[in-house]
Amino acid sequence: MSADLYLYAAIFLLALCSVICRAGYLVFGHLMPLSDRVRSALRYAPLAALTAIIVPELLPWHAQYGPLLDFKLAAAIVAIWVFRFTRSALLLIVSGMLALWLLRWVSML
Amino acid sequence: MPGLVALIVWGLVTGVAMVKSDLSAQSAALMSLLVYAGSAQLTALPLIAAGAPLWLIFAAGLIVNLRFVIFGAALHPYFKTMSWPKRLLMGYLSVDVALVVFMPRFNDAPVKGTVEQHWFYLGAILTSWFVWQLTSLTGIVLGAFVPASWSLEFAAILALIAIMMPLVNNRPILVSILTAGLVAWIAQPLPLRLGLIAAVVAGSISGIWAETVNRNRRKVR
Repeated sequence: MSADLYLYAAIFLLALCSVICRAGYLVFGHLMPLSDRVRSALRYAPLAALTAIIVPELLPWHAQYGPLLDFKLAAAIVAIWVFRFTRSALLLIVSGMLALWLLRWVSML
Repeated sequence: MPGLVALIVWGLVTGVAMVKSDLSAQSAALMSLLVYAGSAQLTALPLIAAGAPLWLIFAAGLIVNLRFVIFGAALHPYFKTMSWPKRLLMGYLSVDVALVVFMPRFNDAPVKGTVEQHWFYLGAILTSWFVWQLTSLTGIVLGAFVPASWSLEFAAILALIAIMMPLVNNRPILVSILTAGLVAWIAQPLPLRLGLIAAVVAGSISGIWAETVNRNRRKVR
């Protein structure tokens, strides 16, 4: 499969995800009441998926050298710490980026 | 409005992240217009970059978007009198910010499904759509001028953390996330990023388990 086709197929499938998840219940909801058990499973799955995307970026695992430590982990910890005090998503992103740049700059001195 | 600020930052970051992960400006714009789901787009970027199989990208997109099924269930009483093509369109354009504005206002409304509610919701989703597309396109254009050494794609990861943080507000969710994180870390050598699926299964099961334990402990007291 060519790279372009792969990319367009991925975009199309993701658009389909948006339609299914967002409109699905509004269109067919009268046919499928959700049980409490299903509702709670639906609550945990998205956060688990986001975690699974974030973790390999912060704690990469190299094929040869095994687990690696990266400045990104330290930067993310700083960002989370800032968020706990400020409750601001903007400050979380800004402080995380600043921390990453600072750590890299210090390590190059 | 804090919701609008979040949308602006989020749109910019997603726009920049798309071009920084090697999407061309055209395909990034197409993705923004059609998919219109920041978290799903940001989730898919590392998978696309790693050449993950299409079914896994589709599955990851579905899982990240699952919260909208809950939103849909919350919105259903207000829109059940509408024709299905309208419900399809309203649903497709639904985003978190619109729901956050809509629900507190009409949660206790005595009649659900009034014309006023429909117009209010339509206004909220259309505003969100235009703000998102505008900022996302701005990000796509700006992204081309930002050098790779700034690692701005890391802002996308930070943005994902920023969505998660306010939702991590009780112990079962914390248990679920820690389990998912541990599984995702250990499972990295697995091919095709299958660790994602393993982490979602482990996270959901441990979350429900922790919820049950929590409830039983409360009963004993």
